[in-house]
Amino acid sequence: MTARDTILNAVRLGLTTPGVDPAAIRREAAALLVDPAARRPSLLSDSLVDAFIARVTSPKVAATAERIGTATELPDVVRRYLESRQLPAVVALQPAAILQSLDWSGFEKHDRVAADETIAVGVARWAIAETGSLVFHSDAETPILANFLPLHHVVLLRANTVLAYLEDYAAATAGQRPPRNVNIITGASGTTDIEGSLVLGAHGPRYLHVVIVDEHSALDEAQITA
Amino acid sequence: MQEAPMSFKARAERALADPTLKLAIDRTTGTAERKRAVAMTQFPQFEAARECGKRIKDHVIAHLDHYLLEFERNAIASGAKVHWARTAEEASQIVVSLCRQAGAKRVTRVKSMLGEEIGLPHALDEAGIERVETDLAEHIVQLGGDRPSHIVWPSMHRTREQVSEMFKRSHRAPHREETIEAMVDSARRELRDKFLSADVAISGANFLVADTGATCTVTNEGNAELTTTPPRVHIVTAGIEKLVPTTAHAFAMLRLLVRSATGADVTQYTTFHCGPKQPGDRDGPEEFHIVLVDNGRTRMLREGLKEMLRCIRCGACMNHCVVFRQLGGHVYGGTYPGPMGAVLTPVFDGLKSSRDLPHACTLNGKCQEVCPVDIPLPTLLRGWRDRSWREGLEPASMRVGMGLFTFVASRPRLYRLATAVAIRVMRLFSRGGTVRGMPGLGAWTAHREFPAPAERSFMAMYKDLEKGQ
Repeated sequence: MTARDTILNAVRLGLTTPGVDPAAIRREAAALLVDPAARRPSLLSDSLVDAFIARVTSPKVAATAERIGTATELPDVVRRYLESRQLPAVVALQPAAILQSLDWSGFEKHDRVAADETIAVGVARWAIAETGSLVFHSDAETPILANFLPLHHVVLLRANTVLAYLEDYAAATAGQRPPRNVNIITGASGTTDIEGSLVLGAHGPRYLHVVIVDEHSALDEAQITA
Repeated sequence: MQEAPMSFKARAERALADPTLKLAIDRTTGTAERKRAVAMTQFPQFEAARECGKRIKDHVIAHLDHYLLEFERNAIASGAKVHWARTAEEASQIVVSLCRQAGAKRVTRVKSMLGEEIGLPHALDEAGIERVETDLAEHIVQLGGDRPSHIVWPSMHRTREQVSEMFKRSHRAPHREETIEAMVDSARRELRDKFLSADVAISGANFLVADTGATCTVTNEGNAELTTTPPRVHIVTAGIEKLVPTTAHAFAMLRLLVRSATGADVTQYTTFHCGPKQPGDRDGPEEFHIVLVDNGRTRMLREGLKEMLRCIRCGACMNHCVVFRQLGGHVYGGTYPGPMGAVLTPVFDGLKSSRDLPHACTLNGKCQEVCPVDIPLPTLLRGWRDRSWREGLEPASMRVGMGLFTFVASRPRLYRLATAVAIRVMRLFSRGGTVRGMPGLGAWTAHREFPAPAERSFMAMYKDLEKGQ
C-alpha cells in the first residue's frame, strides 16, 4: 500500500463519519464564516482610504504614507524621498506599465532588482484597511524579489483598490486561478528574534512608503498607459 | 541531537541553576505576554473569533479525508507535485532525495517546526548538503550548534550578549556597535548572497488551502520569500492537520495566530504559494513540491487526542506557562516544548521516555485560557498521566507513595493523626512563614517556597467551634 493510501485509510479509521457528501461539507464550511462582523476588529475610520492610512502609519505597522492627485506626481514624490535621505537618484522600477509610462527623467532606472538594491518602486494590486496591508500577485509585471531585496520600498496604491477586510480580498479573487505567489505585505520587514525586541529591516525592506493616488485619477492613468 | 541522554529531572536541575538562561527566558516571554495582553484589549471580538477558529479546525479534522483529497487535486492542478509521508524518516528521506535529484549543493531553509519534528536539519547534514538557515533565530541556533527552544523564538535561550559573540566569531563582516539593530544588520549582510545562490529552498506551511491547493506561510523577516523565490526547486513540508477549507478560513485563523504569538495584528508577510513559476512570471521556482506528513497525527485522531490537532503553533501556551518560564524549552527534550509539547512529545517519542513531561505541570489552566483554539491542554495532560499509571510506567516510588496516600486518606482518623504530626514537623523547620531545610522536602524547597502550615488544621479548628456552641 502506498503512503498516500495508508494515511487516507488511517484518517478514515479515526473519523466518526467519513465520506460525507462534499456538497454538505462545503455548506458546513461556508456556515462557519457567517456574521464576520462579530469576530473582526473594527476599522479605524469610515472611509476605507483613511482607515488604511491610519493603520499603515500606526506604530504597529510603522510605515509612512502620503496622498497624491495623479500618478504623474509619483516621480517627484520619489525624488523628494531620495533627496531628504541624501540618496542618489537611482531606482529599481517594477516592470509595471503604469510605472514605466511615467516621466522618470533625471533618474537612473532599471527593472532588475540587485541583491543590495537601495530603493525599489512598485505598485500594489490591492490594500487592506483592516490591517494596513498591501497585496501583490506574481506575474509578468511583478517580480516577487522586488518586494524583498531593496532597503527602501516605495509603493503606489490606487485609492479605489483599498478593500475593507482580508476576506474582501478572498472574495475579490474567488474563482480565479491563483497566481504562483500572493504577498500580503504589512509594513517593513522586522524581527523579534533577539530577546523579543523589534528591529526593522531584518532581511527585507527597512522602510515602506505608500503613495496613494486618488480614485478619480485612476482614469487619467488608464489614458496614459493606453 | 548531540545532547547526552540526561533525565528530565537532571535537565531541569541544570536549567534552574543557569541564571543567564533565566534572564533570556524572562526577557522574551515577558515581552510576549505583555504584547499579547495589549493586543487582546484592542480586539474585543477575540472570544467570538476564537470560537470560530476552534470550529473551523474541528470541521476540518472531522472531514480530513475530504480536505486532503481536495487539496491534493487542486495542488496538482496548479502544477505542484504532492508527496505523502507516513513517518518522520519517510518525510525527510523524500526531501533529501528531491534535493539529490536537483543536484543540490546548497539548500536554504525557512524555519518550520515540522521540519524540526521530522529531523530535517540532521538529515540534510547527514546527506552532505550545505544547509543555510535563513530565519534569524534558526541562524543563531545553527551557529550555536544546538536546538530550538521555542516554537516562535527558537533562539530565546540566548541573550543578546551571547548572540553578539557568536556573530563576531562567524560572520564575514560582523557588527561593531553592541546594539540589537547592528547584530540584525550583520546577519542581513551575511545571508544575502546565500539566498540568491541556493539550489533548493525548503519551507513549511502555516495553512494548506484546500480549494486552491496553495500553501501559506506567515513570517516577519522577509527571509521566507527571499528563500523560496530564487532557487530552481521549492519544497514545502506540512502536517496533514494544517488544512483549511478556503482562503477566507485561513484569514479567520490568521487573526488568532498572530495576536496569540507576538501580539501583532498580522505578520509583516503573509504569502500564499500556489504551484511553480507560471508562464510570463519574472521569478519563482521551476519545481514546487509539497510533502504531506502524518507522523503520528492519524494516531492522535484515533487515540483521544483529536483536540490537539487544532493546534496552530502560536506558542502562547508556553509563554504563559509557569513551568516553561522557569525551565526554557530544551529541558522538555522534544521538538515542541511547553504545554503543547508535553502533550505532543509522548505521541512522537513514546510515553515511556517522556512520562515526566505531563507531570511537569501545575494544572493551573493558564495554557488553555490563552490558547486561540481552546485546546483543553490540562485535560490532555491529565490523560497522559492516567495512561502512564495504567500502563505501569510510573516509578515504584510514585506507586508506593500513591498507595500509601490512598491508604491514609481513605481512613479519616488515621488521616487526621498523620496531618497533625506532619504539621508539627513542618513547623519545626519553618522560618519566616516558609519551610526550609526539611529532610525529604529539599527537591521542592531548593527552587520554590513552601509556605509553612497553619498551627492547627481546619478539622481541629472546626471541632473547637462545634464544642464552643
